[in-house]
Amino acid sequence: MIKAPPQKKSALTVILSFIFFLIFIAASTELIARTPWVEKISPYRSVGNFHYQFEIKWFRLLDYVKQNGGVDVIILGSSLVNTGIDPDVMAEAFYKQTGVKLRIFNFGVEGLTVASDSITVKLLMERYHPALLIFVTEMGDFVAGHGQATETRFLADPWLQYELGNFNWSGWVVDHSAALQHYLPYRNWMRADFLETMPIYLVRNKNTSTSGYEPDFAYGRDLDANPDPNDPNEAAYFQEYGNYQIDPARLGNLRTILDLKQNNGTPVLIVEMPVHPSFYVYVGGEDVHKQFQQTLAAFIQSNGGVFLPAGACDSDIPLFGRSDRWHLNFRGAPIFSNCLGRQLSILANQENTDFVNVNTDGSK
Amino acid sequence: MSITSLTFVVFCFVAILAYRFLPSHYRTGWLFAVSIGFLFTWAWDLAAILLVVATVNFYMGRWLEAAASRRRFLLWTGIGFNILVLVALKYSGFYVSALTSLLEHMGVQTGEGGLKLLLPVGLSFITLQMISYLVDIYHKILKPEPRWLDFALYVVYFPKLLSGPVERARTLLPKFKQPSPLDASAVEQNVWLIAVGLLRKLILADTLLNIIPAGIFLRPESYAGQDLALYLLAYAFVIYNDFAGYTSIVRGVSGFFGIELTNNFKLPYFARSFTEFWDRWHVSLSHWLRDYIYFPVSRTLAKKDPNREHFVHLIVPPILTMLVSGMWHGLGWNYLVWGGLHGLYLFFERITTRRGPRRLPDEWPKWRQVLSALVVFGLVVLALIPFRMDLVTAWHYLSRMFTPSAWAKPDLWLLRRYLAGNAPIDNWADFKLPDVRVLLALIPALWLDWNQHRYKSETFFMNWPAWTKGLFLAVVVLALLLLSFADIGAPFIYQGF
Repeated sequence: MIKAPPQKKSALTVILSFIFFLIFIAASTELIARTPWVEKISPYRSVGNFHYQFEIKWFRLLDYVKQNGGVDVIILGSSLVNTGIDPDVMAEAFYKQTGVKLRIFNFGVEGLTVASDSITVKLLMERYHPALLIFVTEMGDFVAGHGQATETRFLADPWLQYELGNFNWSGWVVDHSAALQHYLPYRNWMRADFLETMPIYLVRNKNTSTSGYEPDFAYGRDLDANPDPNDPNEAAYFQEYGNYQIDPARLGNLRTILDLKQNNGTPVLIVEMPVHPSFYVYVGGEDVHKQFQQTLAAFIQSNGGVFLPAGACDSDIPLFGRSDRWHLNFRGAPIFSNCLGRQLSILANQENTDFVNVNTDGSK
Repeated sequence: MSITSLTFVVFCFVAILAYRFLPSHYRTGWLFAVSIGFLFTWAWDLAAILLVVATVNFYMGRWLEAAASRRRFLLWTGIGFNILVLVALKYSGFYVSALTSLLEHMGVQTGEGGLKLLLPVGLSFITLQMISYLVDIYHKILKPEPRWLDFALYVVYFPKLLSGPVERARTLLPKFKQPSPLDASAVEQNVWLIAVGLLRKLILADTLLNIIPAGIFLRPESYAGQDLALYLLAYAFVIYNDFAGYTSIVRGVSGFFGIELTNNFKLPYFARSFTEFWDRWHVSLSHWLRDYIYFPVSRTLAKKDPNREHFVHLIVPPILTMLVSGMWHGLGWNYLVWGGLHGLYLFFERITTRRGPRRLPDEWPKWRQVLSALVVFGLVVLALIPFRMDLVTAWHYLSRMFTPSAWAKPDLWLLRRYLAGNAPIDNWADFKLPDVRVLLALIPALWLDWNQHRYKSETFFMNWPAWTKGLFLAVVVLALLLLSFADIGAPFIYQGF
């Protein structure tokens, strides 16, 4: 028998032990990451998406479904939803009217528009099959290019693409590895801005309720004064919203959301966020707003959805309930949520349903 | 094509495989072709410029050899040509804007954005190699290369193209003709060189570089004194690991072709004198400067005044050499100050050591070796301040760093309240604590250097048991994988010179 030269044998041993240790370290880390102990000391998880607030909501919903056995209503939208709707208050208001306890989750994510939400909705529907989807919107959602930069970065994420059915290894590994999901919130630990961004992430994570609501503790100033086009701080808004036009592509995105009823049998309620009336100065006045509402209502109706315009609740919200012209604060959010719960009960009565999800286990 | 990219790995794999299977007389041609291919991945016109430089120097060398008279004139013409190309392309920032406005004033439109001149990658390194080639022929140390292809390969050889090492023609050209055999031990050595290079660049240098706040070298007045000191220390390890990492990678790649390149870094931060430091830091450049600036200047001075203890003999050669080194790094006052500082360091070292018997640092008592190493390291790090920023900012940086009142006291009371959950905090900087990440990242950097020093081998891993090597490689690969998820990435610093 011919013996292999010692150097070749040694190289083989190095390669084999390299593979062994690679698998051993990866597997043992994975095992440890799945223990409740790790969950306790580091409850934060991430899928490597640049949008950390999306990730907070994603994992919060996962936990919510685990704890409650499913979700009945998912509210989708932007930061206006995130800080503007408290699902617990809304569920309570609905309960008072109907006697039915709904499991409602707030999936409002900063910077996401109707365009990116038309994609997010697919992921949520596929995983959780809620009995009702509420999409909360406002005029800015339908401006061409609004939120485009966020959307582009958000969609470029390998994990998101993997979830959407476009297979890639990076997305697969992140989706299946608990160890990686626990590491990824800290993935930018070597970035100079990490010591500034991480505490913000931790605070926001802590402040977000189990049902996805994040209160905003700021109070808006001079909100009832109309914005001045000559004010340099307002110029960007006038530029973005002036000559207001509904982008047909954005209506196409809204149709994708409304099609859920046809495709999955899930009813869709489109709610217009009650922004402060002074916001309409940017778009050209109340008339432009009314025209927007008419166009949107007709479009939603023709696509099988239900539209709840801003007027249904906005008279209830006091000035101190707002943090700026768009967002509600911790004082305004419960008032709006209460109103929304009542409106939902009216809708339930009209549709003769209770919006309870029959799929007890909503997870994938 | 970055040398840390996957594309480069595939490129090298194909290049090495084909090189090893080709008959020996085709190998030079093949290496030349892949080097040009590598250049094309940057820009095709880079290849054109470098080939013109190669051709001119090839013929200059032949004329210099053949000339019976006016050899000095020919030599200076050749040197002048190389410096002119370097100045014209590398330092274009200094005159292009003036030239653009002059042309536009004369009614000549230069197009949007004005004139833009291409800077061929590695031109600074190639210029030095071309000058040494001509000088060596002039001094009859070297015969001109008879084959254009071999000479052109010497110029564009891709592993050393981007940032050196500055190889001499008399050592590199023979290696092209007679490459070393590639046995199992050479393969292992090259693999480890590349692994050490990747470790230094991607794990140590890039990590530390990203920790350093971008604004600290622009607005030092916004930072506390201890931050300035800590991040300067981090920068010292960034620049060292970045360049040493690059050199290790290209030496490993070149080793697969059987062509050994100069080791540019020999644990410079363990140097116990400035002379020793320049024998360990960017060795190929500092030896070039020694042979083609320092020695000729010393010889010229000695011809005029043979007393080597004369003040002029002590100060002119080191200062002049280091000023040239500064100018080579960039045309700016800050680089000149950096070079001047190192020149002064060398000058004072010569003054203090000229009396008494000469002893090598290895013969010094241990305490003196450690103390000297710390002093040399400290002064080298301080000299990095003008190297990294313009002079006004450098002065602010230095003066703030040495102002005791600029050092913020850690707010341990706030930290205690935060840890007890009584104080919400939105910025870690509020605690005024040193950035522990720098200290954490320095641990593996120091560990690597310490072991290379202790075992007197840059690939000390080779002596480890096979399973330990496997474990080490697995840890490095997993660390690289984890780092790949971060939104970071940085080009090699010395590619800019």
